[in-house]
Parts: sequence; C-alpha cells; structure tokens
Amino acid sequence: MELTAAKPRKMWGVNVLPTGNLYIPMIAIIDEIVDETPDTKTFRLRLENEEYQESFSWEPGQFVELTVFGAGEAPIGFASSPLERAWFELTVVARGKVTQAMHSLRKGDKVGIRGPFGNCWPLETTKGMDILIVSGGCGSAPLRPAIFYILANRKDYGEFWLLYGARTPQDCVFKCDLTEWSGRPDVKVLQTVDVGDTSWHHRVGVVTTLLNDVQIDPSRTVAMVCGPPIMIKFTILDLIRRGLSEDRIVTSLERYMKCGVGKCGHCCINHVYLCTEGPVFTYQQIKTLPELEF
Amino acid sequence: MKSGRAYILTKSDAVMFFASLASTMRIIAPRKLVGGDVMFGAVSSPQEICWDYGHDIYPPKRFIFPHFEEMFSYTGDGNIEIRDSGEAPQQAIVGIRSCDVRAVRFQERFFLSQIEDPYFKARLDNTVLFSLVCNKPPRKECFCICCDAGPYLDSGFDVQLTDLGDRFLYEIGSDKGEKVTTQEAYMLKEAGPDDIAKRRKIELEADSLFETTAYIAKAINYISSDEVPPEVWEDLGSTCFRCGACTNLCPVCTCFTVDDLQRLDGSFIRCRSWDSCQYAGFTREASGHNPRPTFGSRVQRRFYHKASYQYIERDGTHGCVGCGRCVTTCLTHLGLPDVVKRIRRAMHNYLEPQQKVSEV
Repeated sequence: MELTAAKPRKMWGVNVLPTGNLYIPMIAIIDEIVDETPDTKTFRLRLENEEYQESFSWEPGQFVELTVFGAGEAPIGFASSPLERAWFELTVVARGKVTQAMHSLRKGDKVGIRGPFGNCWPLETTKGMDILIVSGGCGSAPLRPAIFYILANRKDYGEFWLLYGARTPQDCVFKCDLTEWSGRPDVKVLQTVDVGDTSWHHRVGVVTTLLNDVQIDPSRTVAMVCGPPIMIKFTILDLIRRGLSEDRIVTSLERYMKCGVGKCGHCCINHVYLCTEGPVFTYQQIKTLPELEF
Repeated sequence: MKSGRAYILTKSDAVMFFASLASTMRIIAPRKLVGGDVMFGAVSSPQEICWDYGHDIYPPKRFIFPHFEEMFSYTGDGNIEIRDSGEAPQQAIVGIRSCDVRAVRFQERFFLSQIEDPYFKARLDNTVLFSLVCNKPPRKECFCICCDAGPYLDSGFDVQLTDLGDRFLYEIGSDKGEKVTTQEAYMLKEAGPDDIAKRRKIELEADSLFETTAYIAKAINYISSDEVPPEVWEDLGSTCFRCGACTNLCPVCTCFTVDDLQRLDGSFIRCRSWDSCQYAGFTREASGHNPRPTFGSRVQRRFYHKASYQYIERDGTHGCVGCGRCVTTCLTHLGLPDVVKRIRRAMHNYLEPQQKVSEV
C-alpha cells in the first residue's frame, strides 16, 4: 500500500486568512493555562471573533504561527482534539524569546494566531490498520490531536499502541490524559522514563525498549513517531529492523518557520519546504535529505 | 502603440516623456550621488537620470521587495489593535538592467506562485519596468550571457530601451508597458530598418565582450546528485567570513526574517527584512540546536538553491541571473563562477582515484 502524508483540507482559501492578509494574525484569548512540567504549559485558546472560531477547522499535525504581542512570532503545533470546535490548545515549552514571553501571559490575555498551516498525520488513509504511536517528551504534543481523533473513531482502526517516553517523571506532559487512556481497554499504553524515582511505577529506560513489548504485524501497521531527533532516529532504526517498511513510518519535522507559507526560506531542507510540504513526512520521503540527525 | 513592436524615442523627447510620466508615478532611476557613485533612487526631474551608468551594486529589487519592510503595526497594551502598514506607491523603475529584470521575474514567480505574498504583489502590480540594454557588459564580472538573462531581453520587461546614440529604441513587452505609453504616444514613431540593424549590431558586439564565464551545467549535475563530497564544501566554506554580502546583494535571493520592534511611542511594528542563509543564526533554533552548523553546510545550501535541478524544476530556471555582484563583493572568491570552477576542479580530483579503483 502506498502511504503518503495526507494533505489538509483548505479552509478560507489558500491566499487569505479572514483578516484579509495572510501575514496579519487573528486575535485569540487565553481561556485556561495548564502547567504540564516546570518549563511546559498548555494554553487553551479561543479566537476573539466568534465567526472565525466557528469556521476554524484544522487537522491533527498542522501548526499555527503564534504571536506574543511585543515579543514576536513562533510556530507551534496544535495539541488538542480536532473535534473540539469551541477552542484549541497549544503546548509551549519556554525556550526562546517568544515562548518565554508566552509563559508570562495570564488567563484573559490576548495573543495572535495565523493558520492553520502545513499538512497532517495520515489518519484517513490508515483506517483499518494497526496504529503505533511513539512519542518522546514534548514531542507528544503534535501527536495528541491524532490520538484524540483515533480514540473518537476507535472502531475504524485495528490495534492501537501508545508508547510514551520522557527524561524524568517530572518531565512527563499530559499526565491526566495518559492516566485516562491507560484505563481504556482498547488502547495499550506503555510509559517509560530515562531516569526514574520512587513515585514512578512504570518502566525505566529509553522509549525504544518499549518496542520489545509490541507485537508489530508489518503488513498492517503504521507507526507515527515524534520527539527529539535522537529518539526519532533510534525508533526508526528499530522499527525498520522489525520489518516495518519506510513508507509506513511517519514523523514530523521541525524548523524555525518565520512565515508558515513557504516564502521566508528558513525551513527549507534542500528543495523541500517543511511548512507547506510538511511538517509530516514518511521516512521514505525524507531519508535522503541532509541536515537531519536520522 | 502595440506590445511586441519597436518604436523610436529621441533623447530630447525622453526628458519630456519621463517628466510627463513623473506626474502620475514616482520615477526610480540611476542617479549620480555626491561622491560620483551611481545608485538607484527616486529622481525629482528626468535630467537627473544617469543613462550611461554601469550597474547598481545594490539591486533595484529593493523597490519591490524592500530590504526592510513594515508589515503591520499594533498597540502593545491589553487592547490589541492591528493596522496593516503595507504601502505600494505607483512607480516606474527606469534604466534597470536586463539581469535585474530577469531577477524580478524570478521573484514574481516565487512570491506569487502557490500562495500569494500580498505585500510583494501590491508593490509589483504598481511597478512598471523600463529596462535598459547593456551595449557592452558594464563590469568585467558580468556573466548574464551564461544565464539567459542579458545583455538584452526578448521578454520580461514592460518597456525595453536601447541606446542608439541620439535616440532610444523603445520596445513594448507587456500590457503594462502599452498602458504606460498611451498618454505620451505622440512622442514615439515607428522604428525604421536602420534602427533595427543598428540594434542587431549592438547585440552582436555586446555578446562578444564578456570576460567572465560560468560553466554551470556540469556543476548543476554534481550538486543535484549530491556527488560533491562534504570536504569540498567545507574547503569552500573555510574562507567564508559570514558577511552575507553575496546573498544581500543577490537580486534573486528571497529569504527574509520577521521581527517585532518597538517604536518610541510604545507601539510595535512587525517588519520583515532580508536574511541570509550564510548566517549561522539562519537555522538556529531556540534550543540552541543548529541543523546547519558548519560554514560548508551553509555554502552548500546557497549553491543547492542557486544551481540544482530540484530548484530548476521548482522555479523554472536556476537561481542566478549572472549579474556578477557576488563576484564583485566576495573577498574570498565565493562568487558563483568561482565556486562552479572550484567544484568542477575538485570533482575531477575526486573522480580520478575512484576510476583507478574500478580499473583494478
């Protein structure tokens, strides 16, 4: 079966946002802030203009350009359920100027949103297949919408494995979700940390060690992998060793995209513009590209 | 006055022609500065236009894709109000060279294909290009003839002027060129066979005077198929100062960065400005990770974009118009013709031992 990363549905046409100019953001209001880890927060946002919010539909794997007014703009992936129409969530790690400024914002503050941009996880073309999701650290944020989508349409898919790894128990994001998903009989959730402590009662070790407990049927399995480059590298190597073909391993790449629409040139790897042709690719599509650590 | 036809505009009429044009749009043309340098800028009267200049080292693309452009402004306090600052004055760029016209068309394809860039579109829509044929290559570094971008054009211009001594050959190349000519059409008359013959002579002469050549085809092969070993790129990159002049003076380069800056009154502007893939910070991420960490990898990036089949397929042509600005400006011979030459030379050295191995 030929499997390529799916193209998103286009809303609002290609050229314009409802603001009339694709570089001018829409205003969104922070409704809720959840502290995930010491340096990670999840922001629940709603577009100020109700009409915009009602027609704001996006696919798992897509991203927005988030403006923190006074600081600048950065690309952030969606992290909530795509079926939720009244709001959406972005999970932000405080690293640079924009994301640190984002962390200083409070409930009720306004931010700017441009998007949705990019393509999405192949969730339509993989119906009927087994899904294996492998995520590491905050790399689980872009996969979270896909998990919600699969769980909402659970009968359309075969086996569903969810593997999650983090550095320490404190670095685990979406703890409530993982607890809830672990309780479901139709999902097999495995968690690990690199360094455990007394509170940790799951596995200890890198995320690839969890693959030993997964029965992969290469003829009907699709793996979606997201996390730090080094984790993606070893996961892909492991999956290939277990017989999964290169076009069944899907991952999401990351660059500091300044525009999101294929113009600024910052996200190019060779001739591939990650923002418009990605960020989701099969391993087959990207294995010959330079500058990747895998 | 029809597109695709050639007319004659005498030089004395040309002053009146552009004076009349100046009443409806601003005229951007080469003009002599105090120190004697010639640079493009808005001229207040057509007498200022310097017709016998070489070319402007600072590419005139800056009047369509400005070096620094304000996109919108917003207030910083709780109540956010965004105001679009895009401006696009009616303008004629007079005396722009063939290579720069080709570069503008390259940018047009890039910025307006797939997803339209609104700021670029607005500026280009309001711009008329009066290109000026190079009767001889203006600089010894010019190699437009290797890139199908000069010294004269058969398409891409709105109006093309050729200096025939006391008169200009006036060719109309687009609807926009036709429209801008209509009002002053009485100053033009049909070009005669002598004028056309004189133009042909100039073409032949100009073609024979180029000193720099870029034998780019084989280099495109090597770069596209990723055959150039990393050591060769690192060797090329080892002399780079990371000044970014090559990309900042390139009339084809399109990359930009986006920043939010605070004004004195406390409000903010979002602006975009030219960026360079030769800077280490171009790809550096907030985590400190840089996917393009070495000078060699950045030089490779630049030439992959300029000379690879993958980009030719994307953009319709390779990303160089042969204006020679990177040759003039680079202190360490990382202009396109030099790099092409060095890649070809290095590849021959690399290929030889391999051939010996296969013989054994």
